[in-house]
Amino acid sequence: MLHRRSLLAATALGLASPLAAPRLARAQAGSHVIGTLFPMAGPNAEYGGIFTSGIQLAIEHITADKWLQKPIELRAQDSQGTPQGGAVGMTKLANVDRAPYVLLGFTGVSKAAAPIGTRNKVVMINGGGVGPDLAELSPYFWNVIPLVNQEVQAMLPWLQAQKLLKIALVYVDDPLGTGVLAELKNGLPGIGGQLVGSFSIPPATQQFAAIAARVRDSKPDAVYFASYGAQQSQIVKQLRDNGISQPLLTYSGGSIPSVQALPEAEGLVLSGQAADWTRDDAVTKRFVTDWRAKHNSEPTAYHQNYYNGMRLFGLLAQGLEKAGKPVDGENLREEWLRVKRFAFVGGEGVFEERGTMSMPMQINQVRGGRSQKIA
Amino acid sequence: MLFLQLLVSGIQTGAIYALTAAGFALIFGATRVFHVAHGAAFALAGYSFLALSQAGFPWFVGAGAALVVAVAFGLFMDFLVYRPIQRHEGSFFTVFVAAFGMSIVVQSLIELGFGRGFVVVASPLTRAHEVLPGLYLADIFWVAVGVALLLFGAVTLFLERTRIGIGLRALSENPELLRAFGLSSRRLSMVAFGLGSALAVPGAVLTAMTSGLQPAIAAQVMLVSLAAAVVGGIGSLRGAALAGLLLGVVENLVVSVLDTQWSAAAGFVVLFAFILFKPSGLFGQAVAR
Repeated sequence: MLHRRSLLAATALGLASPLAAPRLARAQAGSHVIGTLFPMAGPNAEYGGIFTSGIQLAIEHITADKWLQKPIELRAQDSQGTPQGGAVGMTKLANVDRAPYVLLGFTGVSKAAAPIGTRNKVVMINGGGVGPDLAELSPYFWNVIPLVNQEVQAMLPWLQAQKLLKIALVYVDDPLGTGVLAELKNGLPGIGGQLVGSFSIPPATQQFAAIAARVRDSKPDAVYFASYGAQQSQIVKQLRDNGISQPLLTYSGGSIPSVQALPEAEGLVLSGQAADWTRDDAVTKRFVTDWRAKHNSEPTAYHQNYYNGMRLFGLLAQGLEKAGKPVDGENLREEWLRVKRFAFVGGEGVFEERGTMSMPMQINQVRGGRSQKIA
Repeated sequence: MLFLQLLVSGIQTGAIYALTAAGFALIFGATRVFHVAHGAAFALAGYSFLALSQAGFPWFVGAGAALVVAVAFGLFMDFLVYRPIQRHEGSFFTVFVAAFGMSIVVQSLIELGFGRGFVVVASPLTRAHEVLPGLYLADIFWVAVGVALLLFGAVTLFLERTRIGIGLRALSENPELLRAFGLSSRRLSMVAFGLGSALAVPGAVLTAMTSGLQPAIAAQVMLVSLAAAVVGGIGSLRGAALAGLLLGVVENLVVSVLDTQWSAAAGFVVLFAFILFKPSGLFGQAVAR
């Protein structure tokens, strides 16, 4: 943990200045401490790497443009993707590292961390968790990702058009999964459909042959799964291996490379925010160009969200520094309430009072190992 | 038909669990070392198989490499971790912490080498086809069951019919007496770690092809191994094998009557039932105090 923290902090410091000054000296000179609370080990660790890489590109840009008087120092805590990890990590970030701004992900982690962050007036930015409860979680908790109710609502017209009306749901038994269950239960009758089976699974389950048998028995037109991390890949592979030939559906969590690279994921349909990399605005253009040059791959919505989350800090802190105000959680929130509209990757981000950001949605399908827009 | 489907799926899962748990049971039974790093040997074997498969080598080369890596890791743990601790009269807890720490090191190395995501070795053997109306079966079912039967038969024969095998069974009971019969407890311990780690390989290879691997898989492997070792009777190889099979079948069959949520928990209900009503397990020996 300490090693990872040191590495990330050193990386951020290295990015924040062309001079490779020792971390301690820089910290003494003063820096903006930003916390991250992502799963960095365990079955969900893939997300931690993806989220952090979006933040790192934003720091590079903020530093290159000299937006801030002080460098940015990243402090990482491993949430392990669990509520317990979220609570412990947020306690350390708020009380030990004194980070006024923390980027986090995962619904369970966010819900556990939010009361601690709120008590300490820490602004929390979610770019990965999609549980519907994340709206209005706290005045200090803001989402830069559409929540899963928006995702399911975007999927329903497509299901109706494709005449996929009998849906079986495999969902992880946590706020994300139960959120999807509620949305499908309420939404499917409206398009003349029905939920023919719902199968809950604990987050650590790895064997799905029995669940595949139950799913097959419910005779659905399509199977929706709501999970995350390595478990998603296991669900896709084992459902296909065990004779499920119906279309598979999911939310934006399925956009990670390890899912899309699976041969069994071919044809997987997933909802997500509109990600148009051909946009002409300067912010999107720079993000896409620099991402491709740095990583030799296409960015994903998660990279975009965490880039925007970090960029948001840069914009707010710049405003506060100019006004001669200290960059703390309370002032960051005041500045956020004052501005509300920000130039983000993907277009202008407009926040709502409940801490959510409305965005256009799209339906994608995995074809040849990559997501392609189909609706 | 749903019941039959679940039973078949349970036997396949159980065969892999049995293979997974057997190595841990053998090592613990012979040496009384709580080898928590057995899960790391499993992970290393799985990822070695994956690496060679991705490099285009045939499956048996990958399996051979997995065998070499797993056995080397087991011997490394015995020689360079457990023995120095035991020389200094290290407690059970010291051994546990050392093994646990080594598991984390292995997990980190795997993350560095293979990334943190899910990986799987694609194989046509895992694709199920409908053999009867509503009953789907993949060829890997026969492979898992066949390998498990073959391996347990061979290891049982080895333990019961060979001098070294009998020595292994005696190792945990009376190392002094072993010396009187001209057997070296150190060498036997080496055999136990080598053979026990080798037993992790078939389970790792089958898991790489069926449910896939991720760097933190060692924890899940140890959970299954421990549950099977306790239910089967601590130190009993055939007990661990039968208990692994039992856990797999129960996990699958339970979803025919209960919510799918209870699938994984059902195995641990069996575990608690044994701890409460038959603490010595299926084949363990009750000890009077």
